[in-house]
Amino acid sequence: MKIGLPRALLYYNYYPLWHAFFEELGCQVVTSSTTSKSTLDRGVMNCVDDACLPIKLFHGHVVDLIGRADAVFIPRLVSICPGEYICPKFIGLPEMIKSSIKGLPELLVLNYNAHRNHKDVHKPYIELGKIIGVKPSKVMLALQKATEKQQAYEMLLRKGQTPLDILKGRKYSKKEECKGIIGLIGHPYLLYDEFISMGIISKLRNRGYDVLVPENIEQSQIEMACSQMPKKLFWSYGKKLLGSGLTMLEEKKVVGIVFLSSFGCGIDAFIVELLQRYNHRQYRIPSALITVDEHSGQAGFDTRLEAFIDMVEWRDEREGYVPPYGTSIFGY
Amino acid sequence: MKVTFPHMGQVYLAIKGLLDDLGIEVVVPPPITEKTLEIGTKLSPEMACLPLKINIGNYVESIQKGADTIIIAGSCGPCRFGYYGVVQKEILKDLGYDVNMIIFDPPNSDYGVFIDKIKKLAGKNSWISVAQAFKRASAIVKEADEMLDIALKKRAREINKGDVDSRLNCFEQEVLSRHGNDEILETIRKYKEILSQVEEKSDVLPLKIGLVGEIYTLIEPYVNLNVEKKLGYLGVEVYRSITLYEWVKLHLSLDVKYRMRHKRILRKAAPYLSLCVGGHAWQTIANTIYYSECGVDGVIQIMPFGCMPEIVAESILPRVYQDYGTPVMTLVVDEMTGEAGYFTRLEAFVDLLEQKRRGRVDGYKEGLFGN
Ligand code: SF4
Repeated sequence: MKIGLPRALLYYNYYPLWHAFFEELGCQVVTSSTTSKSTLDRGVMNCVDDACLPIKLFHGHVVDLIGRADAVFIPRLVSICPGEYICPKFIGLPEMIKSSIKGLPELLVLNYNAHRNHKDVHKPYIELGKIIGVKPSKVMLALQKATEKQQAYEMLLRKGQTPLDILKGRKYSKKEECKGIIGLIGHPYLLYDEFISMGIISKLRNRGYDVLVPENIEQSQIEMACSQMPKKLFWSYGKKLLGSGLTMLEEKKVVGIVFLSSFGCGIDAFIVELLQRYNHRQYRIPSALITVDEHSGQAGFDTRLEAFIDMVEWRDEREGYVPPYGTSIFGY
Repeated sequence: MKVTFPHMGQVYLAIKGLLDDLGIEVVVPPPITEKTLEIGTKLSPEMACLPLKINIGNYVESIQKGADTIIIAGSCGPCRFGYYGVVQKEILKDLGYDVNMIIFDPPNSDYGVFIDKIKKLAGKNSWISVAQAFKRASAIVKEADEMLDIALKKRAREINKGDVDSRLNCFEQEVLSRHGNDEILETIRKYKEILSQVEEKSDVLPLKIGLVGEIYTLIEPYVNLNVEKKLGYLGVEVYRSITLYEWVKLHLSLDVKYRMRHKRILRKAAPYLSLCVGGHAWQTIANTIYYSECGVDGVIQIMPFGCMPEIVAESILPRVYQDYGTPVMTLVVDEMTGEAGYFTRLEAFVDLLEQKRRGRVDGYKEGLFGN
């Protein structure tokens, strides 16, 4: 059986797990092609207008798999951590796909919900196995092997690799003469989709900087940073972005921070807002918000990034001159 | 302590009544106007949703009138609404307004915290008087909703256009000078009576449209650009799927029968969506089906731009239409929504429903979905 894995949304978080899982079950895994203009166009055509870019893109990747796989894998992650949620759109994803795309192959939906307890996390995988026709005992074995792969992946991430480095099999080693570290905050499906992020990671590296991404930060640090919030943040990924941003600021490791966000993203609107405000109030590190949508062009993107780098370097020359509140170029 | 709160339809009546009775000074925010929105838009993050912006406008206008404490309701996700309070407080803080913010999360799990917060507000009032004040305030919510329902019925049938709204305007003027639950309730009752006497045409069979969607957009007329009024003037009888009273019954009371009914309706959505995706998306699907079964002529979904759960619902609604055949239109509002274009779309939709009723249209163009 050929199983299609859309290269979008949480793919970048979990592909080692999912890949290995299906392969262990004896399935063949087909990943959708890397994002291109046509993936995006097909996504836009097959999705409601009001959805955000990443959701449209997911639709595009599913369309890309039609005819190439016997079944398409759609993760429905309601919650990945007790008491927390992720973006509501992930919860309704299978329904959105079913309603918007015609001529779909079978959908393999993973109904994952750790909102109430964390103990039964293997159950949805067993369900999947049932659909494919594999015995629970074998599924458990596959899951175990896959989990090991996933853990190894996460370990590499925490050692400073980005998911892109690992995906492409190019180990990145830190520069000898690095001009500084730039923090890059954004959802994985924006940052590591090179079409969407316009290769921002390599661009920054080519300019002589190292990048630090949320995946590099320890979960315990994220938790600690967010525990200072007056109310528990109930979006796991929102928390990850805010917590890693705060950690980067707090440890004074970074010389600048770029937020990459998609237009109309409800969660980012809040997270970026809070982070910007804390930054301006306390740390005053140069920052830029770059918002992408389906109409974003390379030129505009580059200009913004250049302006940001200029600001970082300008400030560096003046040895820590602190720009007053409100001078961040794209911030508020 | 001078307490204020954000506007949301008629909610101000109940909160004013409640706080009056508890002996707390209250500043009712000035009615939402363009200026409110302007303030809110200027001070809020550009990408935040419309309700948040209007809330900020309300706060600032109230603070200018002397308020120093804000009470709001919260939730625990996954919709953004749950984090409003925190973000709003930061915004106000950077503006130099150091106000006290009390966030009431629905007591689904934690009654202790809820009660603590009430204590903080209630001060020296005894528990019995607090409980009684709550009870009377929920009567206000109930009767105010009934009053609106009368208005919805009458508007579609009134002989002299505008009769209903001129009376409602008088009500709004009058009620502000009333103090405490009892006086407010009395005024509501008086106007229920007055509204019932509006003369109506006898021979009309108005079109029926059900409203579904995001709760704040549905309840606050300024945000939905007075959709009920506009539809009323087009001769449509409007049904509201989400009202304040229902929210109160669902979240603050232990009305088991009501909850069962609510569940029953939700179950109708099972073939399309069988779990909560936050906000009211599930209800949107379920109520659309429920309305279709009740035989309304059309359904309108309203949401603020970027509302995550409602977008999920929006993409599912075409399938409900395919199966049930009741036309559905989605309206997305934000601070840029133009009154004229909005009205044209409503008119076109009503037109279509009229033709459909007369049996002239059998196939309904899918093109009408969405924006
Ligand atoms: S978190 Fe934001 S970008 Fe991601 S799916 Fe939700 S709305 Fe879209």
